[in-house]
Amino acid sequence: MARGLSRQQIGVTVAMIDSYGDLIFQMSHNHQIRRGDPIREMDFTAIEARRDELGMSDGQIAERIGLSEMQVMYIRTMMERRRFHTNYFQRLLDLGGGKRFRQERFTAHEDRFQYHDDAFALREAMTFDPGRARHYAEQGWWADDTLSGWLARNVAERPDAPAVIFDEVVMDYISLAARVDRLAGGLHGLGLGAGDVIAVQLPNLPDYLVSYLAIARLGAVMTTLYMPHRAREFETLLGHSRARSVICLSDAGGFPAAQTALDLDLDKLQSVITIGAAVPGAVPFEDLAAGAASADKLGLPRPVAADPFLLLYTSGTTASPKAVPHNSHTMLGNARLGAAEHGLSADDVILSAPPFGHLFALYSFHLALYVGAANLLLPAFTPPGLASTIEAGRATALFAAPAHMAACLDMGLFDKHDCSSLTLAILSGSAVPDDMARAVDSKLPDCAINQLWGMTETQGGLYCRPGDGIETAATTAGRPAPGAEARISDDGELQVRGSMLFPGYFDNPAANAAAFTEDGWFRSGDLASLDDQDNIAITGRIKDIINRGGVKYNPREIEDLLDNHPGVVQSAIVPMPDKVLGERACCFAVASDPDIDLDGLCQYLLGHGIAKTKLPERLVLVAEMPLTPTRKIIKGRLSLPEPIHSQDPKRDETKNA
Amino acid sequence: MTGNNSVDAKEAKQAILDYCLRKGALAVGVADVDALERIAPAGHRPSDIMPKVKSVISIGVGGQTQGAWSVPAKAMGYFGSTESRAYTIAYGAAFFIEGRYQTPAIYCPPDMDNEKGPRVPLQSLKLHAEVAGIGARSLAGDILLHPDFGYMYFASIFTELALAPDQPMAENPCPAPSCVSMYRSIGRTPCQKFCPVQCLSGHIDEDGRQAEMHYDMAACAEMSQQYEAVPAVLAKAMAAEDTQSREDALFDPDNKMLWYKMSVGSGGLLAQCFECMRVCPIATQSPLADPIRRAKAKSEA
Ligand code: SF4
Ligand code: SF4
Repeated sequence: MARGLSRQQIGVTVAMIDSYGDLIFQMSHNHQIRRGDPIREMDFTAIEARRDELGMSDGQIAERIGLSEMQVMYIRTMMERRRFHTNYFQRLLDLGGGKRFRQERFTAHEDRFQYHDDAFALREAMTFDPGRARHYAEQGWWADDTLSGWLARNVAERPDAPAVIFDEVVMDYISLAARVDRLAGGLHGLGLGAGDVIAVQLPNLPDYLVSYLAIARLGAVMTTLYMPHRAREFETLLGHSRARSVICLSDAGGFPAAQTALDLDLDKLQSVITIGAAVPGAVPFEDLAAGAASADKLGLPRPVAADPFLLLYTSGTTASPKAVPHNSHTMLGNARLGAAEHGLSADDVILSAPPFGHLFALYSFHLALYVGAANLLLPAFTPPGLASTIEAGRATALFAAPAHMAACLDMGLFDKHDCSSLTLAILSGSAVPDDMARAVDSKLPDCAINQLWGMTETQGGLYCRPGDGIETAATTAGRPAPGAEARISDDGELQVRGSMLFPGYFDNPAANAAAFTEDGWFRSGDLASLDDQDNIAITGRIKDIINRGGVKYNPREIEDLLDNHPGVVQSAIVPMPDKVLGERACCFAVASDPDIDLDGLCQYLLGHGIAKTKLPERLVLVAEMPLTPTRKIIKGRLSLPEPIHSQDPKRDETKNA
Repeated sequence: MTGNNSVDAKEAKQAILDYCLRKGALAVGVADVDALERIAPAGHRPSDIMPKVKSVISIGVGGQTQGAWSVPAKAMGYFGSTESRAYTIAYGAAFFIEGRYQTPAIYCPPDMDNEKGPRVPLQSLKLHAEVAGIGARSLAGDILLHPDFGYMYFASIFTELALAPDQPMAENPCPAPSCVSMYRSIGRTPCQKFCPVQCLSGHIDEDGRQAEMHYDMAACAEMSQQYEAVPAVLAKAMAAEDTQSREDALFDPDNKMLWYKMSVGSGGLLAQCFECMRVCPIATQSPLADPIRRAKAKSEA
């Protein structure tokens, strides 16, 4: 291998470098001192006297100190290597745009921001198929959308337009942005930054949105805790998400949320930020939001669309959590494309019935922020609260679960309140009963009723469009969102892919292995059918399918019938393991008539044409159903009764429920 | 007396100066060869490359345009190709002298002296210009400034034709009055304050004149030219303990500039950064500092 002259050939020892190095470096041109102006003044005496200070060539130095010229050159080069700051070039790159260099504002490479390991691990989880990523970018489905960017655009375009309306108080876009900017600065002051996970457990208050936007402004990641979550869920979810901070109420309806978080033994959790009464050890939210060091003043870098900014949990809130990470490409691209499809504009007043802890509610906020509409807030759902908020706030677009609407219908609230401002109601979160959709449609004749199918993994996956008409909207969830594709597998499962799809569960390889098909489609777990207009109807959940001795059926139709039985408020049919047939149907019901029994219900079902083989074989009456925030029944939380080992398994549990 | 006895030295000097000015030089002067021979170190004296040299002619051409100093595109300030205009004129002047006066002349190479190491020029063009009276040393690392033309690029012509030498400037325009005020208030002049690697320091005396100038050329050169960066980065990569650190060392976005410079050459980033000149009132605001000012002055005249 080629090499240069060796030290041995030049005759330079390490001891010589150490002995003469500093001297040679100083005598060389590397450091120059000029006193006065001797050359211009032709002051030859001064020139001679100060020649050394002006810097000497290697030859001159060699002559002066008695080394060979080559030895001086070698030693000088070694010293330059030792002393030179090879990172100086970064200072040049720090300039530009007419900016003057300021030593005090320059951060050297080694001192620059670095994602900590947990944050980096989350970024690693944002892995997309390269071909798909390219396609999404080429189509413009993935662009430079960020919440901060959208907020800034609204501030520029409509600073005085209402951004958040709560309890007759209106916060305009410029005020919202200022509060967000200060809170982001405050969070930064707490040591939180890009990539950090910050949990939020709040009702739908303005400060929820301020927190969300501030977290996003930092480039941090929000994870949500539902309001019913307690110590166990806190521990599991804050632990799994590696949350560095949590923003919560000091008193959440009797639950000491802040104190609960403070009591947790989680080494990653650095701070607890509270809204409400002071809690020792917790940081008051208002102190952070009122701070002077705003994110913009601090010059905090703005996030980009590829940064993860949401980590949401879908199930397993106490064991084996399924955490769904999203970046702005998947989330906000989907909202941007959806806004036009839903016909939303800056003139809209958008209201979400579900809590912001749920993605459906966040979707409504994403849409509102994209178009610059107003967000009308309902802190916690009650049917009268929803109806009066629509009326008082003149909501134009409502995002609600079928159960929210059913409750309002049951109480006749659409007759008691003026909800005529509504032009769009998007229903999602659980199956939409056909007759309920029609009932809402008849109560709100000027309002388009649209079903939307989405999951935490997809946000808005399929939806009806405002012009679709009630026939389509009552019976189907419409067609894929722009950027989304849907197919129905041989066993009837809805599978999706597209620019809105999450990349995979964070830190849960088992869940990932089950969630995707070999060719990269996401298994929704929902059963679906396609009509001749390419509208997709969601017909149930795969895991709800009952396989009774090889006869498989979807119990949804039976549940719909039972829900219309005068003695039943709500029903859920779940498969029950059986040694003989594999599975049998067990019906759980919340009854309004305490005397209903299994035989009576079966007669009712037979009268409605249900085959004998599909009749439920057990009945369990429950006081209430376990519900998701969008009021969907969580079937997995219904406790199955003990199996029966008799010849006739038909059994009525109503008396011992 | 000249190498060619039939030449009128006075007329020749004027003709050469006119030639250079006509070709685009802003300032031309003749340096006193004897002074240069005394000041320059052995091996770098004019006679070292032209033993019978009698005259050293120094020319200065305009540096950055007003646009280059003021636009946000930073590469404009660092663009190093302006000096080629000076070299072209000097090359032509050498031809002009030989053609018209039949006396040997050379265009002085601006190169480094390869045998003496990368920081040592074969000849100091700056010294020629200073002695020829077309520039004076500034507090910004001895960059030469002219009270009318501000900041120029220089080239030299050596000839055996004897021409009457000019004198160095009577006054040094640096520091400008505003720089003295700034120095009095914060202890630093603009060039000192805004140098990205803080390689300039010094003092101004009570009369507002340069007392002392310190220039850390090692830092300045490393910032702009990165002589040492390539071997240092390679050494760091070789010493890296894992593939990731090795790749970080070689391919980080900033170091990537190094490879560009070495391969296709990023000319705009090879010269000095000249932030010191971007903030210098003489470089940017002298009456004839840029083509716009010069055109205005011409039309007013
Ligand atoms: S060229 Fe740049 S690094 Fe060198 S002295 Fe001027 S400002 Fe400083
Ligand atoms: S800014 Fe220019 S004039 Fe002022 S001290 Fe520096 S070099 Fe001299």
